[in-house]
Order: sequence, then C-alpha cells, then structure tokens
Amino acid sequence: MKLFTYNLLSLRVGVGPHGFPLHLQATKVHINPEDFNPDSVAHMIPKVEWVAFLEVTNTLHLIKLPKGPIHGHERDEKFLRKMHILQETDVLEGILQRPRLSFNWSKLISVIQMHCAFSTS
Amino acid sequence: MSDVQEATNQLLDVNLHENQESIQVMESGPRSESEQFQVTIGATVPTGFEQTAADEVTEKLGSSCQISRDRGKIYFDISVESLAQVHCLRSVDNLFVVVQEFKDYQFKETKEEVLKDFEELAGKLPWSDPLKVWKINTSFKKKKTKRKKINQNSGKEKIDNGRGDKTDERDVKKAFTSNPLDSHILDYYENPAIKEEVSTLVGDDLASCKDETDESSKEETNPEVLKFRVTCNRAGEKHCFSSNEAARDFGGAVQEYFKWKADMTNFDVEVLLNIHDHEIVVGIALTEESLHRRNITHFGPTTLRSTVAYGMLRLCAPQPTDIIVDPMCGTGAIPIEGATEWSNCYHIAGDNNPLAVNRAANNISSLLSKSQIKEGRPSWGLPIDAVQWDICSLPLRTGSVDIIVTDMPFGKRMGSKKRNWNLYPACLREMSRVCRPGTGRAVLLTQDKKCFTKALSGMGHVWRKVHTVWVNIGGLHAAVYLLKRTPQAFVHPSEQDGERTLW
Repeated sequence: MKLFTYNLLSLRVGVGPHGFPLHLQATKVHINPEDFNPDSVAHMIPKVEWVAFLEVTNTLHLIKLPKGPIHGHERDEKFLRKMHILQETDVLEGILQRPRLSFNWSKLISVIQMHCAFSTS
Repeated sequence: MSDVQEATNQLLDVNLHENQESIQVMESGPRSESEQFQVTIGATVPTGFEQTAADEVTEKLGSSCQISRDRGKIYFDISVESLAQVHCLRSVDNLFVVVQEFKDYQFKETKEEVLKDFEELAGKLPWSDPLKVWKINTSFKKKKTKRKKINQNSGKEKIDNGRGDKTDERDVKKAFTSNPLDSHILDYYENPAIKEEVSTLVGDDLASCKDETDESSKEETNPEVLKFRVTCNRAGEKHCFSSNEAARDFGGAVQEYFKWKADMTNFDVEVLLNIHDHEIVVGIALTEESLHRRNITHFGPTTLRSTVAYGMLRLCAPQPTDIIVDPMCGTGAIPIEGATEWSNCYHIAGDNNPLAVNRAANNISSLLSKSQIKEGRPSWGLPIDAVQWDICSLPLRTGSVDIIVTDMPFGKRMGSKKRNWNLYPACLREMSRVCRPGTGRAVLLTQDKKCFTKALSGMGHVWRKVHTVWVNIGGLHAAVYLLKRTPQAFVHPSEQDGERTLW
C-alpha cells in the first residue's frame, strides 16, 4: 500500500466528519525510486493529513519532517524532495490497527485488510 | 494492369517476402509514395461513448471524427504513418479500414436483385489502398501462436466462467481469444439491444471445414494464397435479405475476384460488410480480438469492459495527482484502466467482498508483470492500491477524494433491486462525505435508473447532476451519471436537528 494511500485512510468515530488515522505496523517497506516531479509533489502536499504523516514517517524511520507544511512549500525544493517519499514509499506487508482510544469499538470495523498487489522480488 | 492484378500482385509479393522471413512491408522506390496517403479508419466503441472516443481520437491523433448513426461506430481520417498510434486508443473495441462507405444505398425490390448487386459490388470497390493498410497493419501485430479452431462452445464456457468465481486463466484466455464475432454474439457485455443480425458465414460450400491441428505459422500451410472471411452486421427493419445471405453472396464474389481461400477461423483478411438501414460500410478488420478485455486476466461475474471503464474515467477529466476511488471495484477494471492511462493520479480500488478484492489484486499483479516484460526492466509499481471495506462506512478522510468512479450494482446479476433502495442513498451519502467539496466529482454507472434518480433527488445540497450518458451494458439500458460535488461541506444527518434524508 502506498504511503499516500495510507494517509487517506481514517476511521470515523461517532458523529461528525472527523476520523482518526489507523495505526500502521509495517513489517516490509519498499522505497521505489521514482522520478522527482516538483509540481506533482507540491500538488499533493495540501492533500496530506500532516499529523498522521509525521507519525508514520517516525514509525517507519523515514526522514525527519517539520511539524507542518512550510509556507511557500511550492518553491522549497529541499522540502519537496523530502516529501517525495510520499510517492516512493510502499508498505508491502503490515497490519492496520484501530487507534488506541477509549471508545466503544463494537460498532466499528476492527481491522481493514490490506492487499498488497505486487510481488516483492 | 487492372486493379485486381495490382492488388493481388502486391499481396503475393508480401507472402513471398514473409516466406523469406523478412517483414519488409515497404520497399523503397515506386512504392514509397504510398506511405503518404490518407485513409479512413472505422472504430467500434461502446454505445453511448461515441463522443468520448471521438475526443480521444482528436486528442491523440489530431483527427476529427464522424460519429455514425449506426450506434457504436466512429470514423476518422489519418495518414498511414499514424497507423501504429491508432492501436493505442483506449476507448476503442475494434478497428477497421474503410474500403467504401455508402451513405444512402438504394436497395432493389427483391432479394435476388439485392444479392446480385452485392455480388457485383465486390468487383467495383477500391480495394488496393485499404489492402495496403491491412498489410502494414499486419506487420505491427505480434506473431501469435495459432489458435485452435474455435467452436460455439467456447462462448458458452465464457458465460459459465463468468458466473462462477473461477479464475482459471487458461479457460478465460481460450474464450478471450475466440474469434471476435462469436464473443460478440454470446458475451453478456456485447449483446446489442437493437435488433441486429450478425453472421460470419461465407457459405457452407466455401468455408473450410478442416480442423487446424497444425499450430505452425500460416505461411507454411498456405504460402501463396490469402485466406479470408466475410462478416456481415445487418441492422434495420426493412431489409429483404438476411446477413447470412449477404455475407455468403458478397463473400463468394470476393473470393472470385481475388482468388483467395475462404476460411472462417484461420483467416488473414476479415472483410466487414456493415449494413445499417441505408448506410453500408465495407471494411477490412485491423484488430483480431476485441481490445475491451485487455487489462483483465481474472474475471468475475460482472467484469466491466476496459473500454467502458476508460470512457467513464475520461468523462470526469482526471487532473494530475487527483485521488480516484472506486468503492465497489469488483475485479478492478476501472482503477486498473485508470492506473494505466492516468498514471499521474492515485487510484484506490475497494470492495466489501474479499474475493473481489483478491481478484483486483491479482489483476494488478498481472498488469505489473506485463509491463515489466514489455519494458524489459522492473517497473516499480503502479499508483494503485486495493482495499477491502464497506461502502456505507468508508475508512477514508472526509473530503479527501477527488473523483469517485464506479459501476453500481444493477440489482440484476449482483445484489437485488430491493437492496438497492437502501444501498443507493447510503452510497451517495457516504460518497458525498469523502468527495472533495467544490472540485470533486463522481461518475456512476447503473441500470437501476429509477432507484438512482430517487436517491439523488434528496441530495441536491451535495450532488449536482451535470451530464448523463445512455449506454448499453450486456443488453441492458444503463446510464452513466456525471455528478459534481457542491461546495457545501458534509454535515452528518443527525447533526441537522434530527432531520434525516427520508424517502
């Protein structure tokens, strides 16, 4: 599952539009080298859920990122290159778990199955 | 030198060259000027998507299209040099080169006279340029191994496979490679709703009945003479003849004219005789198997044609980095087509059925290996993921999805009409939540138009219907709805002072 896709996932709790990111425990991660396209990375940044993204990059021991998107990020090439991992990182094996919150979980989906479609060789 | 002589000589030259194992189609010298000519190409497209196909042709080939009254066909002119690019069109099921078009053919009164006219027609048509195009086109095709003689049963096998959950690739491939017309007759997704007769006969006495057990290349069995068949599509109320008869008599005359050998299964040239009311188009096929199942190796019970999937995606005009989700993906036909053609977008295929998600994942794997083989280097993955989820409660962030494209359960082969009454409103609601307000859009295919319209009527605050395309899916009159997500942010129904979207 692409890192970007993971960032889109969230579980809703109760009413309202807010949800919580799923906790990712990855056992196999692959970095696909892809051509760096600053425009396309810049477009993706507003779509990123930052808190979840920070957490997962820490968990996966990827690069260090600032606490939020930098103002004027479109022109900051160094920052964009860091964010390029969004497009390159692929979690090949792992488990998605519901976040550790004290709610009544019986109504929620417990685990979402992740299907990794590509061979690892 | 008469036209016949010239045409036949050219073809004999080709065969001789093929015998010498050189695929040199164009010799230098007097023939090189033939590379410059223009030719009219006809394409069959899913009915309802003629305009999207025309747009693709204009975008990729720079040609404008004529959309035929005979639904599901478009015509455009290209220079012969662009022929290879025509095969890259994604909205096209089959291609042919036009020999001649009669916009207003005058049929005589009696059957005998009409058929006699067809016989005489064969000798009067401008065959040589189209045959040159056919020759060039043949050189593009990969050398495929000879297929076993296909009988009617293979079509039935396909239907049985479709019903079960089998993913037996061999069976599927066999049906997949059955001659395009058999599939046309028996395939769920290609039965036209209009009254149409299709027949591939060249006449019992003319057709070859030998079982081709020898699978070696055709050059070895018949080095000198080309093999052909005639396929006649006839649609219209007032014809006094059948497509069988037309194919037989026209085919007989073609055989006389070229001295070709008639063969229903192992043919080199497929001559098309398309008759729609007073419009007749004679063509030569450029595609052997229908291109519409190109991406799918693992079929499910209701797999959508890739050409329809492409048409639906094109309708919503994906922009780079758009997030495109199919929340009821089935075998994944739509996201897979998306990942191939719009590789600068992110595609997510989801379904509540683990079997379906597995199939989608397998199809993605197949696609990946295919592209690895083709490009000769390991390609690093496609921008597509497959997830199992429940459409009524999608595990996606609110307002995070740019485009939703899906084939909704018709309630015929999948689900039920009764279930749709609850499912459709729940779907539309949840889709409106995840779809990005203002810029988001949805393209939804369904046959249950009544239920859909009712479900949509209560959602004017979040969805605005922009366009409807009427299509034909497996003989069912379906509709593709293009919806735009309004700028209004999603509000959970229970937050609206206890007001709920009721019927």
